[in-house]
Amino acid sequence: MAAVTLRALTKEFPGGVRALDALDLSIPDGEFFALLGPSGCGKTTLLRTVAGLESPTSGEVRIGERVVTALPPGARDVAMVFQDYALFPHMTVQDNIAYPLKIRRQPRPERVGHATEVGGSLGLAGLMGRRPAELSGGQQQRVALARAVAVHPSVFLFDEPLSNLDARLRLEARTFLKRLQRDLAVTTVFVTHDQAEALALADRIAVMEAGRIRQIGTPRDVFGRPANTFVANFIGSTPMNLVAGVVGDGAVSLGGGSLTLPAGASGLAAGEQVIVGVRPEYISVSAAPVDGALTGEVSIIEHLGAASLVTVEVDGALIGATVPEDDEPAPGSTVWLAPNPGRVLIYRESDGALIS
Amino acid sequence: MPPAEVTAAEPAAAVLTGPSPTADVVGLGRWRALGFVAPALALIGVFLVFPALWTLYIGATNYRLTGVAARSPEIIGLDNYRRALTDPTFYRSMRLTLVFVLGSAVLGQNVLGFALAYALRSARRAVRRTMEALVLLGWILPSSVVAFLWIAMLDRDEGTVNVLLRQTPGVAWLIAYPMTCIIVFNIWRGTAFSMMLYSAALSSVPPSHLETARLAGSSTAQMLRDVVLPHIRRYALTNTLLITLWTFNDFTPFLLTAGGPNGRSEIVAAYIYNTAIIGGDMGYSGAISLLVLLINLLLALVYLRVARAGKGRTA
Amino acid sequence: MSVARAVVNRVLTYVVIGVGTAFFALPLLWLLSAPFDATPTYGVRPPSRVTLANFGEIGRNPYAVSSLVNSVLLALGTMIVVVVAAALAAYALSRVHVPGRDALLYALLLLSSVITGTAAMVPIFLLIFQLNLIDSRAGVVLVLSGGLLPAAIFLLKDFIDTIPRSYEESARVFGASPLRILRDIVVPVARPGMATIAVWTIVQVWGSFLTPFILLRDPGKQPAAVLVRTFYTEGGSPNLALISTFSLLYSIPVVLMYLFAWSRYGFRFHGGIKS
Repeated sequence: MAAVTLRALTKEFPGGVRALDALDLSIPDGEFFALLGPSGCGKTTLLRTVAGLESPTSGEVRIGERVVTALPPGARDVAMVFQDYALFPHMTVQDNIAYPLKIRRQPRPERVGHATEVGGSLGLAGLMGRRPAELSGGQQQRVALARAVAVHPSVFLFDEPLSNLDARLRLEARTFLKRLQRDLAVTTVFVTHDQAEALALADRIAVMEAGRIRQIGTPRDVFGRPANTFVANFIGSTPMNLVAGVVGDGAVSLGGGSLTLPAGASGLAAGEQVIVGVRPEYISVSAAPVDGALTGEVSIIEHLGAASLVTVEVDGALIGATVPEDDEPAPGSTVWLAPNPGRVLIYRESDGALIS
Repeated sequence: MPPAEVTAAEPAAAVLTGPSPTADVVGLGRWRALGFVAPALALIGVFLVFPALWTLYIGATNYRLTGVAARSPEIIGLDNYRRALTDPTFYRSMRLTLVFVLGSAVLGQNVLGFALAYALRSARRAVRRTMEALVLLGWILPSSVVAFLWIAMLDRDEGTVNVLLRQTPGVAWLIAYPMTCIIVFNIWRGTAFSMMLYSAALSSVPPSHLETARLAGSSTAQMLRDVVLPHIRRYALTNTLLITLWTFNDFTPFLLTAGGPNGRSEIVAAYIYNTAIIGGDMGYSGAISLLVLLINLLLALVYLRVARAGKGRTA
Repeated sequence: MSVARAVVNRVLTYVVIGVGTAFFALPLLWLLSAPFDATPTYGVRPPSRVTLANFGEIGRNPYAVSSLVNSVLLALGTMIVVVVAAALAAYALSRVHVPGRDALLYALLLLSSVITGTAAMVPIFLLIFQLNLIDSRAGVVLVLSGGLLPAAIFLLKDFIDTIPRSYEESARVFGASPLRILRDIVVPVARPGMATIAVWTIVQVWGSFLTPFILLRDPGKQPAAVLVRTFYTEGGSPNLALISTFSLLYSIPVVLMYLFAWSRYGFRFHGGIKS
């Protein structure tokens, strides 16, 4: 059990590519922490640097109280599960799980017993004699997890742990993983490009872009109050509406209408250009006129299951709103869009940072 | 030699996320890695590279296996090469080698390999398998054994060839027509490679192209010329270069005729052997060896050029 | 295509296959008939008296059996040297950025085709002579290894490149030392590639003639490839009984190895190095 602390961590590759740009990060003991971002953002490089598979150009990595920056991977007391699970094909499940214990020179009866126990607790009893090639994807993943668990590390590192599974299996495995981490209470850092996965699993998320952390927060924070337009765009199964607007008197005008300016943005000067952000989930659609709402024509309706995403053309801009499936407006009809006032966010136009 | 075409299963997004292709993932370190490569490099250096380079020196001396020149060879500069240029046995050897390579490789193995591959395309599985097995045996069997098989075939008194020609005793083939014998012998031994290569090449011709031609009314000869040959042209070129290189260096006809009778089948490999080991003239044969090396180099470079041009970036 | 053309094509195909079959089968017949013929000649004919006694000739010749043993020694010896040296080198070249790596591989490829037995016959002979290794089987093993290694390294490196690096990284995070990783993980996973190289090397050496021919004098050290040419009767004519039976026995192992490789790994026809 240990906290993970990164200070001014920088990793530059030959050719000048900065994979990590002076990152500071503090993950308390026992937290389930997600590194989220698009490909190339540096999240995997960061994970590998914590593991010791990459050495940083500058900066410090601490695990618990120890500074591990110069330590080789085997001495850091971490366990890593790779995206392809890296199960040794020539060894049985049991030997795979027991392998790290073999390296630590545990005598055979002990490590076999231990491996069996851990394997059993992850639902692998009866599969211990099989080779990885004889297992299903979900079973392979659990073997990889068992191998990491068996070694009782201070920190778990997972590199895209669910992306090799079928969509259906992924959801089951997600729940399984969350329960496992809660039961073991070991600090866990995992990398994913799937924002829904990060939101579902993590206690806190770091959203990364081009080697920098754009926001750290709980799933609620990151979903409800993204710190900048990048995060706002990245998070959420349906993209947040981001529309250009102009600050007026206590209101911001956009799309041929105007909305009340949220309290935190009252300091803005009139005439200032901003970006207004509000999630489709927080906009209600009405066929009857509503005060202080935007109006436009229904352009496209996409079915999402129990809800539908209605795209409305509002004075040249396209704004999406989710409605329950029974309340779908007719395509081409005129509707009024009323965002939940507490959910309207104002972003600076110049750098996309959150104002309110 | 054509590199094995194995594509590594690196995920496309492995630029910043996964280890780079040359990542030292186990932490071997530069020194240990060099240590790993050292034994192989030492063997290759001493027993492959050094001899090739040493040929440069040997060819410029009058080194012999016996006599004064054995104990203290002198550098005689380009004298050996001048001698080769005026030596009729050298020219004969070169001419014979040219005939040998053209006859047995460029024409023989190429044409026969292609013909068999083409004919077997549509043959029944059993027929195809049998044919392939027979042709392959020529390649697989040790050369000494194959030499005896052909000595038996070509025997004047009871050899199968003369039996089939109903002339026993008939022509003593190895004595009367040594070049023809070694050409046929080499075709028998080497066709397997061309056949397999053309087999693969033919199966890569899109069936839809052939069918289009057939529907347009092409005859087989026209189909071959217009559809098949353009597709396999590169295969044919690399195949020809490879088997030319191998055949040019082939020593095994020696097992059949020892370069005789009277040097009438003394291809360059036999010539070097006879001059060096039998004749003891190391300096002169060293010079010839250097010429062989240079010709090999030329052929290999041309081959690699052609092979690379087609594949784009290789591993 | 008209019916007449189709028929002509058919006939041509049958002719090619027929002639091809005859051409490639006929020489083999001698190998199957002469060993069992009490009075073998160069001719192919059903044996006048079928016998297995010819095989006894092999025992009567003082060097026949030992030459087969020598072939085995040379083949296995070269195989071990090549597999070990190539595996070490291929692994290092695959995983570590040794300076000049790509140029090295390119050069190796070139070398293996350019420096052939014929071209290097003279310097190799002199080199072995100077090293006092003439008439030494170890010398032959070294020379053959030097010739086979470039291609072996090239093939094996390609193979090792396909082994996912995550196996090694995973073991490394668990604390395994590099040598331990090689032993526990890399070698077992690389076994198919190494086995292919091993079989390929054995086959190349088994039939190799030129190098042992020029480097070995003592008939007691010569392999089968060389010795088979020395089987004469007291009368000075070739001992066909011995030659045919010996050739048959000598050929069987290599045919079996090919069958084994074919069934196990599919026929990876690299063309190899013809020596």
